[in-house]
Amino acid sequence: MIIYNKTWLANMRLQAVIKKDLLRGYITANEFKSITEKYPVGFYTPNLFVRVGLIILTFIIVSFADGLISLVFAATGAVETFGWFFFLGLINYIALELIVKNNNHFRSGVDDALLFISGCLFATGFVMLLFRLNYTMNYIVLAGIIFLLCLYLSIRFADMLTSVLCCISFFAFIFFGWVRVIPAGLATAPFVMMMVSGGVYWLSRINSKKEKFINYDNCFVIIQVISLLTLYAAGNYYVIQTLSSEMAAQTGPVPFAALFWTWTILLPFVYIASGIQKKDVVLLRTGLLLIAAAALTFRNYYHVLPVDVTLTIIGAVILGIVYAIMKYLKIPKHGFTSAETEDGHLMDHLKIESLIIAETFTHTPQPPANEGVKFGGGDFGGGGSSGGF
Amino acid sequence: MINNLYKNLHAEGLISEESLEKIRQKEEKPLLFSVHWEIKTLLYVGVMLLTAGLGTLIYENIDSIGHQFVLLLIALICLGCFAYCFKNALPFSTQKVSSPNAYFDYILLLGCITFITFVGYLQFEYKVFGINYGMATFIPMLVLFFIAYYFDHLGILSIAIANLALWMGVSVTPKQLLIDNDYNSGTIIYTYLLLGVLLITGAWLTRTFNFKKHFNFSYQHYGIHVTYIVLLAGYFHYYDSAIAIAFMLGILFLSAFIYNEAIKDKSFYFLLLVILYSYIAVSSLVIRLFIQAEDAVAVYLLLFYFIGSGIGLVFLLINLNKKLKTA
Repeated sequence: MIIYNKTWLANMRLQAVIKKDLLRGYITANEFKSITEKYPVGFYTPNLFVRVGLIILTFIIVSFADGLISLVFAATGAVETFGWFFFLGLINYIALELIVKNNNHFRSGVDDALLFISGCLFATGFVMLLFRLNYTMNYIVLAGIIFLLCLYLSIRFADMLTSVLCCISFFAFIFFGWVRVIPAGLATAPFVMMMVSGGVYWLSRINSKKEKFINYDNCFVIIQVISLLTLYAAGNYYVIQTLSSEMAAQTGPVPFAALFWTWTILLPFVYIASGIQKKDVVLLRTGLLLIAAAALTFRNYYHVLPVDVTLTIIGAVILGIVYAIMKYLKIPKHGFTSAETEDGHLMDHLKIESLIIAETFTHTPQPPANEGVKFGGGDFGGGGSSGGF
Repeated sequence: MINNLYKNLHAEGLISEESLEKIRQKEEKPLLFSVHWEIKTLLYVGVMLLTAGLGTLIYENIDSIGHQFVLLLIALICLGCFAYCFKNALPFSTQKVSSPNAYFDYILLLGCITFITFVGYLQFEYKVFGINYGMATFIPMLVLFFIAYYFDHLGILSIAIANLALWMGVSVTPKQLLIDNDYNSGTIIYTYLLLGVLLITGAWLTRTFNFKKHFNFSYQHYGIHVTYIVLLAGYFHYYDSAIAIAFMLGILFLSAFIYNEAIKDKSFYFLLLVILYSYIAVSSLVIRLFIQAEDAVAVYLLLFYFIGSGIGLVFLLINLNKKLKTA
């Protein structure tokens, strides 16, 4: 099913492993060279910057080319129909298949852009088709169609972005379907979503280890992240309250409030604990991220302390905990270490950290323009920029 | 328990006995799970929350605590941080110096931020520098540059560069460049131009004299963005006058210079920036040419231009990539 040459994919994994061994000095450069010659990879995979450049350029080329074709056929009136978008999507998809098959592009930027554009064109075509059929947005059908579309693209190209969309549209399909079909749908939806997302997480966890799916490693990681986030959101008090007031005009407290509050506060810690226990990066980092979500949810309903005091206390507590962990792990214990892994990481070349510091800490005080301002400085806000994966 | 993979490789004669033994030893060691990334992120978040919290706390309670006390507190934190850093820092070198431990960088960062706050506070409350706002930003800038070089901290170098821009009356990070500023005045454009040229010169000096060579990236990064954006802005600002030509020529010279440097340094990132910014410049010239034609055919020609030039650039990028790799 997968479009890429499976032998090359396997060789690529092998090369990644021995590259690390080379960097750590376990094998010699000559051995590395002979292995890469014996197990070649024929893909065209340039580095990150070339990839970004190729994505931008492909977007320019495709949008102007599609514009040109549309302009030529504008007089016929065919351009305004849904069929036109399918037509353009098909052209892009064929171009994608040809580029990947004949030129062996693999995550080169050209294939990323074409995949994204053709997916979007097909999706637009379906939206217009649905609109034409019954003049209202039918979320269930739309989510179902996008799920199938992304599922196909994910299986064919093992792409992370389509896997994310596939996963989200699947959850949306279940949610809208359940709310529509079952009479007490909205009240029971949280429990259904919990079960479904938990099930998806479990399935992707057991399947990610299987030999058969080894080419979809990245996809499984991202599916795990999305399903963990959905599992949390399904029981998050704020999400439930907002949804029930939006969709059923129910205001006030939600039934089973105690259960949902426990879920909101405790689940991130459960993630972290099991992440530590299983040594699973996905669980650990998702849990850390969700602690922030839990804190924000709590603050949204209960104002125990003013913001400044809370921030100061949390900041001090975090620094204290980190200090304790670093002291504890000075000598690696229980298979954990606080030292850097030996793998070189591409992002280090971009000096990302210094750029983040510059973005968050350089809202330096301007000379005060008038005396109405109480104090010019101290605006070190802009948080949340470091929480990404 | 050694991996089958290595056994196969050994059987095929691709790995020597010696290397297999090394790998065997590695496999016997338990695999460590590194929480380095998590700890770094938490440290960063902690410093950010603490400074933000303390900042607002002081801001809210300025009437009840009193300025002297607040100043004293900030000064104490600042001094404490710097005292720790001076005591623990590794000796100065013109090359890259790694930090003695993981929290060193963050303590230094905290010290610098409190220092900026301290100076800002002094100026605002007691007008230490009078109405001479230039001095109020100039002195922190000098201190920040000194700290960045002395302790070898890239993040603080970035803050120092931002302060340099602030001292010149402009801002420097790409986000703010695009959001905050309008280029509708000649003086702002020339100030930015001077800043950009300064930064690129700084990068060049860093490389040429091999003094803290790894700082090159920060100077070059900010310098390139600032200079290109301001040259393009200048071109559009003086669109109808003859000075516009000078800005276009400026882009041409800059592209040639950065291109050579990027090829020499084998830096894909800067090469990509050169290509994309130059493409914007050339395309704006082409659009200008076609718009003057005022003809329906011109629209088609324009579309063909973008398709053709885009495909051309794709091949250029792929070939340059090959060239840099093999060079």
